[in-house]
Amino acid sequence: MSPPLFRLPLFRLTLLYSALFACSTLLLFAFIYWQTAVVETQRVDGQLLHDAMFLSRLPAADLRGTIDNRVMPDFRRVAHAGLFGADGARLAGNLPMLPAGMKFDGSIRRTDVPDAHLTIRAVGLSLPDGTRLVLGRNVESLDNLQLVVVHALELGLGPALLLALGAGALASRRTRKQLQTVHETAERIMRGDLRERLPTHGGGDDLDRLAISVNHMLDEIARLMDDMKAIGDNIAHDLRTPLTRVRARLERARDSASTTEEWHEMVDRAVAGLDQALRLITALLRIGEIEGGRRRAAFEPVALDQIAREIAELYEPFAEEKEVAFALALDPVRSISGDRDLLSELISNLVGNAIKFTPAGGSVCLSLSDGIEGPVLQVADTGPGIPPEQRDLVFKRFYRSDASRSVEGYGLGLSLVDAIAKLHGFKVVIGDNHPGCVFTLRGTLPP
Amino acid sequence: MKTMDASSPVRLLVIEDDQETADEIVSEFAEAGYDVKHAADGPRGLALAGSGNFDIIVMDRMLPGLDGLAVLGALRQAQLQTPVILMSALGDVDERVRGLKAGGDDYLTKPFVMAELAARIEALLRRPALSRETVLRVGSLEMDLIERRVRRGPREIDLLPREFKLLDYLMRRPGQVLTRAMLLENVWNYRFIAETNLVDVHVGKLRKKIDAPGEAPMIQSVRGSGFMLIANG
Repeated sequence: MSPPLFRLPLFRLTLLYSALFACSTLLLFAFIYWQTAVVETQRVDGQLLHDAMFLSRLPAADLRGTIDNRVMPDFRRVAHAGLFGADGARLAGNLPMLPAGMKFDGSIRRTDVPDAHLTIRAVGLSLPDGTRLVLGRNVESLDNLQLVVVHALELGLGPALLLALGAGALASRRTRKQLQTVHETAERIMRGDLRERLPTHGGGDDLDRLAISVNHMLDEIARLMDDMKAIGDNIAHDLRTPLTRVRARLERARDSASTTEEWHEMVDRAVAGLDQALRLITALLRIGEIEGGRRRAAFEPVALDQIAREIAELYEPFAEEKEVAFALALDPVRSISGDRDLLSELISNLVGNAIKFTPAGGSVCLSLSDGIEGPVLQVADTGPGIPPEQRDLVFKRFYRSDASRSVEGYGLGLSLVDAIAKLHGFKVVIGDNHPGCVFTLRGTLPP
Repeated sequence: MKTMDASSPVRLLVIEDDQETADEIVSEFAEAGYDVKHAADGPRGLALAGSGNFDIIVMDRMLPGLDGLAVLGALRQAQLQTPVILMSALGDVDERVRGLKAGGDDYLTKPFVMAELAARIEALLRRPALSRETVLRVGSLEMDLIERRVRRGPREIDLLPREFKLLDYLMRRPGQVLTRAMLLENVWNYRFIAETNLVDVHVGKLRKKIDAPGEAPMIQSVRGSGFMLIANG
């Protein structure tokens, strides 16, 4: 069901423009009409008055001759003239009699020429000798001109309006058709066909550009969905491993445990496997929670050096046990705005990873210094390092480089680091430590 | 799980709307000899808790009728100082601070294992009184808080500051199961689960110094839960 034409926004716009167009045309014609009717009449009137004054000042003897010889034959001016006696008898000129309703005070009026079916503009003057002078000019051409203007208006405005309305209807119908296509495509997409794209015709108009950006959005959504699916697959896979192991252990416990001691030990190992699966799920949920950004509301001033010191204290014995030298180089830094718990989790992840991946005899260094934009925290190790092409990938969920596959870990630690850094507007970059790698976290100071 | 003294069973109130979780907690602690009552919503929970007839309350953060924090606020307003452990689903992590600020004594994120809840309940029931003692003693182990010296019997033990801090915490809670999460939270002020066995490493290092070869072990591992310091020799 599509709405009637007059309810389409585009068609309404057309109506509005047509109305505006009609108004401006009317204004234009009004101006032309005014120009012919008023200005032209005034000019004619001025000349009439001028001529009348000129004639009235002539001596009475010359007047009749002048009327007969000069005024009447002046066809260009289409002049009418008459000199009448005080009793109204015609003395000279081509006017057969005094036009009805003439006044002889020098005012100009519109009047009919008796017996001639002519309309003229005429002026009447009383001369000193008692005679009356009437001068008139044909204004038929003026009337004709006005008639032409009105006709032009009638003939021009109507078709122009129809044309505008027609074009508007056509354009809105076309737009409606395009919108209908968009609508149908959107419905297909909503029904689950994410491969569907809006049609574009490369015209570069607004609708086309909109379709292109919607298509980009759909591409992005499809990519995210693929990511989600990959994550789902990864979760399933990573959960299956510990769960399968748990199952095997429990089976073995049931079948082969002969003493309570043995049985306890096997169950304990099964429980450890379940814990591993639970930790994986917890980490995923935490990443989701952090990416939700809700915790930004609880930001407060945080001293990174203090957190770094605490993390170092927590991890020192772990490094000792792995025979990895652990060094701490802390400069006093300005405090930043953040979530203390999350930031300590971030640093803890970086330090924990570094120690985990560094072989015995290597070293890990946690350092903190004050940069231009804010504190700079670095965790450097002498482990296997991360090849440049993998440096962006490691922050993705579940990514684990080949080198780290043999080491316990869930591939989520760095995703967590990334999520926390993003939440704070910090940057984490991975560099080379020759050998090993350096994680550099650049904090920003509160505004 | 430790069975409580039968002559005066610990009175536990569980305020939890999720039937399954509630059943699990009730049966677990009833079996262990606790006197357990259950309320399924906020108003009933508050009415029961307000009687003052409980030693400890375990309460969900989100409750129908009256929110967990509101119940807690009302209890504290009425000067009832019964220890309260708040429970909440993951995703409400920032609620923890609010829960503790509202007068909660501990905060557990769901899901948790029963051993964790049991250890925390026990820790609250046996919460060490603020003492002016400057010397802590557990069996033959002695810690001088002013001199910062530790000895086991005649043997002087040299501890790093971080080991001293851990032992201090253990010695104030002898005979209590202390979970890894409790140690992380209370000794290192660390509020999330570390992937690695960090706590075990710390306890292991301390144990090597406290329990010398040939001596009766004082720092014990508790299967499936954590650690315990016992007055052994």
